Amino acid sequence: MSDLRRPPHDGRRSVQRRVAATREFVDETPSTALAAGLVGGLALIGVLVGFLVQSPLTVLALGAFLAAFAYGWLRHQALTARAMTFAMTASTILVLGLITVFIFAEAWPVFEYASGTVFGVQVPGLELFTTTNWSPVSEPIGYSLAPMIHGTVMVTVVATAVAGPLGVAAALFIGEIAPPTVRELVKPGVEILAGIPSIVYGFIGFTILSPWASEAFDLVGQGTYLFVGLVVGLMALPTVVSVAEDAINSVPESMKSGSLALGTTDWQTMTAITLPAASSGVSAAVLLGVGRAIGETMAATVMLRNSPALPEPLYNAFYGYETLTSLIAARYGDAHGLQFNALFAAGVVLFVTVLALSVGSQIIEARMERELGGNQG
Amino acid sequence: MSGATEYDLVREDTSTLELGAGATVGFAVVLFGFGLAGLFELVAVTESVAGVQLPRLLGGLLTLASAALAWFGVASHRGLVPTDPRPSAGVVAATGAAGVWFVVGGLVGSQTLGFGTVGWLALALLAGAVGFAATALPREDLGTTLPVAALTGLGGLALLTDVIGPDWAWSPVGLRATFAAPIAIPIIVLFCSLLVGWAGAKAYGGFGARGRHLGAYALVYLNVLSILGVLVGLLAFVFTKGAPVVVQGITVGPGAGPETTIRLFGFAHTVVWPVDWPFVMNGVSLYAEVSGVLPAIVGTVWLVVGAVLFAVPLGVGAAVFLAEYAEEGRFTQVVEVATNALWSTPSIVFGLFGYAFLVPRFGGSKSLLSGMLTLGFMLLPLVVITSREAMLAVPDDYRDASAALGVSKWQTIRSVVVPASLPGVITGVILGVGRIAGETAPILLTMAGATEPSAAETADVVGGFALSSSPPFVTNPALLEATSALPYQLYAIISAGVGGDAAFGWGTALVLLVVVLTFYAVGIASRTYFRRKLHE
Repeated sequence: MSDLRRPPHDGRRSVQRRVAATREFVDETPSTALAAGLVGGLALIGVLVGFLVQSPLTVLALGAFLAAFAYGWLRHQALTARAMTFAMTASTILVLGLITVFIFAEAWPVFEYASGTVFGVQVPGLELFTTTNWSPVSEPIGYSLAPMIHGTVMVTVVATAVAGPLGVAAALFIGEIAPPTVRELVKPGVEILAGIPSIVYGFIGFTILSPWASEAFDLVGQGTYLFVGLVVGLMALPTVVSVAEDAINSVPESMKSGSLALGTTDWQTMTAITLPAASSGVSAAVLLGVGRAIGETMAATVMLRNSPALPEPLYNAFYGYETLTSLIAARYGDAHGLQFNALFAAGVVLFVTVLALSVGSQIIEARMERELGGNQG
Repeated sequence: MSGATEYDLVREDTSTLELGAGATVGFAVVLFGFGLAGLFELVAVTESVAGVQLPRLLGGLLTLASAALAWFGVASHRGLVPTDPRPSAGVVAATGAAGVWFVVGGLVGSQTLGFGTVGWLALALLAGAVGFAATALPREDLGTTLPVAALTGLGGLALLTDVIGPDWAWSPVGLRATFAAPIAIPIIVLFCSLLVGWAGAKAYGGFGARGRHLGAYALVYLNVLSILGVLVGLLAFVFTKGAPVVVQGITVGPGAGPETTIRLFGFAHTVVWPVDWPFVMNGVSLYAEVSGVLPAIVGTVWLVVGAVLFAVPLGVGAAVFLAEYAEEGRFTQVVEVATNALWSTPSIVFGLFGYAFLVPRFGGSKSLLSGMLTLGFMLLPLVVITSREAMLAVPDDYRDASAALGVSKWQTIRSVVVPASLPGVITGVILGVGRIAGETAPILLTMAGATEPSAAETADVVGGFALSSSPPFVTNPALLEATSALPYQLYAIISAGVGGDAAFGWGTALVLLVVVLTFYAVGIASRTYFRRKLHE
């Protein structure tokens, strides 16, 4: 993301230029290659459409595509490679688009069902957030996501309180403080921490931590937002560490040396130069960590009570009921009809939130890159 | 950062200083150890040591540490020890102190003295303000030591005088939770020793810039040590719990193991394994001596193979386009944002997507193929990101040299850029595979089958291929059936309530951990190796 603010240019002239470039390309390219490309492209679209509408003829389109591809590869390899890699690149955007469309489409019925009115305007899905009753089977029927959103917020707050400060401190250690040999030991250690599957954390949490917490704090039943948050924080920690360390490393060495040359201590340089310069990257790291914590599923599913309710009082972290992720994972099996759509609505909330966090952290990082004039390490 | 900051040359005659401050830090370390041991129930805080009840002993130690710290602060202020304090301890330390004292004031006001909301809030605000002023206003030596010493002294005296004794318990109104002595005492001790350790390290550095440096480093080192401690503890715990289950009944010798027949399009070949390893070679069975996780292991292997076959060509191709063909512009920006967004999308959302998009298109029920593709979608962004980075890291000299020989762009990519970036690409793929191999949430909705699969339910993908005369011409029922995988099997054990299966669960967890961490270890090692090679 080099330049988000381009100078405005004349739209018509740019179109003309593009048409001219296309014409030039068509003139210069052998007609057989053009034909193969056209057939291949159409066939690929055919495969996609056929797959989407579940047609048995999809395989024929696939055959046509493979034939066009084979011909192109044998005769015009360079052009074919370029076209294919372009198609592959487009597919990454396509996947994101498909996820968006399918999740929203599946969630829509419950959005319609739970629409509310504000100032006379009908807002679909409003009651998912403004009511607190989740009861898909028994009357009164309600599909409120509010208890789950509250649960996700509780877990995320605890997790961020763990992963944020500890992660940034560990990133400082790896990036600035540790001697090289120690760094070579600590860095893979943190990565291996990221590698431990969430269900293993969940298993330990379920068999050891939850019973212990329940006994130690004399709780009614098992499942606390506090300990789920601690575990999820541990899982989000490596994300924070690696992104924050990248940010800290991208602060030019000349800035640090300049500060040290004035006779400051290492710590003074870190707090006065390195951290402020890397602040946007470090906050992007924390944002990504928050995203990880929000999306963490298995540990929450197996450690919580899986009964949507709000704790009393609201800040009571010793009682954990349900998060958006655990709602989906625990109920997909016996849900149908509107309840199933409601699970997709929970997915939509998760997807949109994490998407916003991801895009937000990328904008912040792009700004940092601009400010520091790129990575001069 | 450069290690050119040697202060010891500048400082002389530091024996009193080192003795006083060092003793304080030593106290803190001992207390921290006690606190941890108490929290993990290695030491029961209600016990007696040498005739003294442990809470009293800890209280005494805390009081001593507090006294040592206060003495050091006063001595430094009087000029008895050579220090280099600043006029104030600074706003950061003062804000921290204000927060701590606010909480202490609030708790004492509402719980000990029984004030109403207005009363305890007023007391808390007063305590916070006093804490802030006491830290910020005096010279740094007093501002650092005295508030910490006061807090530690308060905690120590509470323990010493049995205000918080072995039978103490506190149930905040409305919280339905109880803080009893076995939890509360270690937490008090840990927190106070942390503060004393920080202040002591600062004092050891003689306050000022060097003192703050040492104080901060003490905390950072402690943080990293505890992260590594948690990692090692977790791994060791799973190993000790799981290993006895996993190694049960292993026999080695020619012909000891089970037979495996590999079939492909009608051809068959039979292998007899020289090892019998029941836990990884059996399914769940009432008749076998040792139940095993073979179907889950095979399921995980096929999942990984399928996801890699789908995502790696696609991702590497996209990376080639992004790194070599595309000009920096709107399109690459959109792709970059999209891949990063895909990368951080929660795994359960991929599961929902697979359920809505793939499952209806592959026979309408959960299947191995849906699971493969769902994990492939998850793997795709990582492959794109890491491959692109690896290709951009190939020096332009390579490309120029190739172009100077008159080689076309595509040929350069094929025979120079891609081979040169291969180590980076492979490393990225291995790390990504490690991640998806442990994922549970996506396969829960797209693939998960029997919760206790027997050996007969092992997916036979290779033998399942068959040709047919109607589209799609090649069929493979094994791909379209639900099956198990290691993480799913572990989840199934948990959701069945564990019960008597705990040992089996630990064994499964260990196998899963070993599989995933092997991918990580290989990935990290290859990255280190190739990076070293690059810098030679």
